[in-house]
Amino acid sequence: MSEAKNREEVIQSLNEVVAEMHDRMLKGTPPTMTLPVRAKTNIEFNQRLGVYKYGKKQTIRDASSLGSARQLLRALHVIEFIEEMIDSEKSSTLREMYYISEGWGLGKFENQNGSNNLAEDLEIVTKCMREDFKLRPEEDGARMIGNVTIEERNRRGEWMTINCRDDVGDSGYGLPYNVEPEKIRLIDEDVDYIMAIETGGMFDRLVENGFDEDSRCALIHLKGQPARSTRRMIKRMSEAWNKPVMVFADCDPWSFRIFASIAYGAIKTAHISEYLATTGAEYLGITADDIEAYDLPSDKLTPKDIEALKAELSDPRFSTGAWQDQINMMLENGKKAEQQSLAKYGLDYVTDEYLPQKLAEFGLGG
Amino acid sequence: MARRATSTMKQASISEFFEKNKHFLGYDSVQRSIITAVKEAIDNSLDACEEHRILPTISIELRRIPNKSDRILMIAQDNGPGIPAKSIEKVFGSLLFGSRFHTIRQTRGQQGIGITGVVMYSQLTTGKTTHVVSKIAKDATALKMDIGLDTKKNAAIVSNRERIHGFVDHNGLPVEHGLRIEAPMKAKFQRGKKSVGQYLRMTAIVNPHATIRFHAYNEDNELIDSFVSERVTDRLPRPVREIKPHPHGIEIGSLNRLLRDSSERNMRGFLRHTFSGIPMRAMKEILQRSDIDQKIAPGEVSPEASQQILTSFSEVRLMPPPTDCLSPIEDLLIKKGLEKGVDSAFVSTLTRAPSVANGNPFQVEVGLIYGNADVSAEGPIEVLRFANRVPLMYQQGGCLLTKGIESVSWKGYGLDHPGGKGLPKGAATILVHLASTNVQFTSEAKEAVAENEVVMTEIRKALQEIGRHLKNHKKKSAQKAKTKEKFELVNEILPAIATKASNLLGRSEPDLGPIITKIMNAVFCEDEVVWDKEAKVHRCEIKIHNYSARPRAYSILAQYPEKEGVEIIENDLGGKREVRGIWCWKLDTISPNEEGVIRFALKGLAHNEWNSTEVFFRGAGDIIGASKIDEEILIEIQKEEERALEVVKEQASMIAEDAMESDQDNSGDLDQRELEDAMEGVLGDAIPQKLPEEVMDTHDLDNSGTLDQNEVETAILESTEPKEWKFDQYEESGE
Ligand SMILES: Nc1ncnc2c1ncn2[C@@H]1O[C@H](COP(=O)(O)OP(=O)(O)O)[C@@H](O)[C@H]1O
Ligand SMILES: [Mg+2]
Repeated sequence: MSEAKNREEVIQSLNEVVAEMHDRMLKGTPPTMTLPVRAKTNIEFNQRLGVYKYGKKQTIRDASSLGSARQLLRALHVIEFIEEMIDSEKSSTLREMYYISEGWGLGKFENQNGSNNLAEDLEIVTKCMREDFKLRPEEDGARMIGNVTIEERNRRGEWMTINCRDDVGDSGYGLPYNVEPEKIRLIDEDVDYIMAIETGGMFDRLVENGFDEDSRCALIHLKGQPARSTRRMIKRMSEAWNKPVMVFADCDPWSFRIFASIAYGAIKTAHISEYLATTGAEYLGITADDIEAYDLPSDKLTPKDIEALKAELSDPRFSTGAWQDQINMMLENGKKAEQQSLAKYGLDYVTDEYLPQKLAEFGLGG
Repeated sequence: MARRATSTMKQASISEFFEKNKHFLGYDSVQRSIITAVKEAIDNSLDACEEHRILPTISIELRRIPNKSDRILMIAQDNGPGIPAKSIEKVFGSLLFGSRFHTIRQTRGQQGIGITGVVMYSQLTTGKTTHVVSKIAKDATALKMDIGLDTKKNAAIVSNRERIHGFVDHNGLPVEHGLRIEAPMKAKFQRGKKSVGQYLRMTAIVNPHATIRFHAYNEDNELIDSFVSERVTDRLPRPVREIKPHPHGIEIGSLNRLLRDSSERNMRGFLRHTFSGIPMRAMKEILQRSDIDQKIAPGEVSPEASQQILTSFSEVRLMPPPTDCLSPIEDLLIKKGLEKGVDSAFVSTLTRAPSVANGNPFQVEVGLIYGNADVSAEGPIEVLRFANRVPLMYQQGGCLLTKGIESVSWKGYGLDHPGGKGLPKGAATILVHLASTNVQFTSEAKEAVAENEVVMTEIRKALQEIGRHLKNHKKKSAQKAKTKEKFELVNEILPAIATKASNLLGRSEPDLGPIITKIMNAVFCEDEVVWDKEAKVHRCEIKIHNYSARPRAYSILAQYPEKEGVEIIENDLGGKREVRGIWCWKLDTISPNEEGVIRFALKGLAHNEWNSTEVFFRGAGDIIGASKIDEEILIEIQKEEERALEVVKEQASMIAEDAMESDQDNSGDLDQRELEDAMEGVLGDAIPQKLPEEVMDTHDLDNSGTLDQNEVETAILESTEPKEWKFDQYEESGE
């Protein structure tokens, strides 16, 4: 599916969705739309791809209830909108589509979450990507600093060569929303590994301390839950250049999910996991053990945290012994900690002590 | 009793009495004092207007006095009868001059010590006098004066007494009759649950016939709080009547006193004329059981014998006391009062039939607003308590009216009621009004109603019934919402899907008929009641949509407020009355995707008296929006109707029997004097509306000038229609 589809193929797959509805109506039965269940109960590990994908559970959206009927009508509006964009060679952001839907009368969305989700639904049933639909997210990708060289095709259609250490300022190279080969080419590198960092504060700390050069790595700021383009870029670099990926995040249930979305795929985008997930990514820290071992300042788990941790215990992506131990340990100690709590020992502690020690466990940074 | 209290008090200083008792007189804090003062003023205005059949317009103003941060000037003005010159000093200048200490009837002015208390409080806290302006209709001018108190003598000290022209109302129009009081006092202005504003708002709800204006100003003369509540009815409360005590409410002490003070010549007359509810036969039986001769004088009855009388009071069969001495607000008017100012919420009200507890007639009224935006959805519901139309603001927790609310399982009626304990939660208001000739309070402060099982049962029954209304309303709105959804689905969304899908594929549009039947697969009922302003009728439309795959046939039953003077019109389908308040129609068979419609109208109801019907059906399957009729309930309603009829008949026959027993000359007929005597003995003045002459006139069928038992019975049955109440004009002359 990572192959971009041509116009006709995209329109053909969209029309199949419409045809399902129409065929049912011809038979005198309420129209339907069939799609996989998008919940943790329906993600399965795909041995061949090494990532988590949706399983076989399907839900049938049936126009017998008002809510489902509305969804079907909305889907038809979105399909019409996409086909028009394909025809006129335009594209729009998901947000723009949401605003345009205001004019769709009975088929309008209540909020942007609704329209985003429906776009994903269509990706899933048609096995297309939203890029095929000419839809793009408004959130930009992450920032990157390190000795790697890429080519980006700019608005004028020209290829620019950029070294992500020498040609950028302190804020690094900003990833565009589309990082596919037609937009970005990977040219050259001189790093040993890629380090993905959750918080901006820690990213800036490592940049200021010159960690990318000292430790010969590419630093990528995840900005919380990483955008598709960030995950895609990590995967492309890791695969093309055969580099390990280290994830450095806070120690709390949400950070674990960030890691899982990089390493195994996110539940929301499980239909394109093999395309976004970097199967070999490792969780560097901060671990529950680190809180004790480094005696880090910590916060108490909130009821929400506890609920999230418990949900992770039954999440197939965290079913390995190591993760189960980590999560149980957190629940037992009732503590969580931020990356920046390392500053307790001074600003250089993270680059001088903590990271080298942790990286050594993976045979890196030496 | 009160008289004696006054005389003992006179010896001590009257102000000392006030100081000592200020907690139950309502003057124990600055916040509460201002409410008490306003309450004394407005209660008097309402009472005076009611007695003189005037529609009250009352204005209350609070003005912060400049440079005295803790002082407020209270100004109360009404359009009541005013007070005749010679009474003004007494009313404002002597404690306990009230008019209500010896009568058994429902009045407001039972709490506090009356308007003199306000003058007293004003004088004690500011050293100032109270300014009074009064005008009665007879006089051309108003009389004004400043009144202070001589606390030693319990008398007024009057100054600046003067006749004036130019006494005007809030519109600047000359006042024909009315009273204005201006009293400065130490007080604190506040808003919220225990404030003058809330007191007046509550007063307005239970006095829908009054227009109440409230304005509060700060010391810079800027308006800081106000509201105007216009009257929603021109009907004055039913006049209250005094009644004689009922034997079931009498204690030995009072019985002995009554015996001692009686002016009746003999015991026969004593029992018959001192009490209500003792028919002739019971009188005889009481005396027999107590071994007392009918002819003996009341004063000669021994203490043992009077104890005997008391015991037999509870053993012989008595008539209940008359209950038409009560003045309920009546549910429709409560509803109007409650609906003021709240939008699109559900309001239900109910007035129970009068009942009797320990010989005291009482009546319970309740109201419920659900979805009241002014009440927080998280906290407990708002409780509005009233006794004899007087708002109760304090001691909510210890009050029977509150306990009544707490004792109902609200969860079953759709309110959040954690643990089934305490008050239910949510954005709702519950009102409870207790009208009684003798409200028992927990303490002298008269802020909380005391426990009483009989009253409690009535409160519970009333609340349970409005609870059922709420539940029905919720169920109905949920069903309505569901029906609306389904209709939107098949009438709007589905056609839109069909069109869009066909256009995208360039195919033809599918036939939606079979899909709609599959999606709906049910029969739906839609009903609506609308008020036709022009024609002054309520129109009801009931639609049965058959969205199922087979033809359907039903009998449809609908509830309507059946009562005297209400007529069903424009009823083309005919049908028949099933039981009280339920009409039944037979519908022709409805084919799939067709509908059956019933239309009818009701004449004779006021706008607010009907706003929705309940629809039932007989037939197979379900109808969404209507319930299958429970035949047993129909039978139950029928039985109840018959029972009610029997009770009326039985009471009538008891009265008639009593009348016959009074047939002293044994002629088998009653002469007019005997009849009069008979009827008074039993009911007190329960049937004052028709004078015995009138009864005789209309029912002496054989023109014999006397009535036989049958005639008496029908006469009494028909004489319960209320008649216009007449009142005597204020007789006193000015000066
Ligand atoms: N606003 C008023 N208009 C006419 N009469 C009044 C007014 N206020 C008081 N009165 C008369 O003064 C009497 C005494 O009032 P008050 O001292 O408050 O005692 P109570 O209200 O218990 O009778 C009332 O019964 C009534 O006759
Ligand atoms: Mg009074």
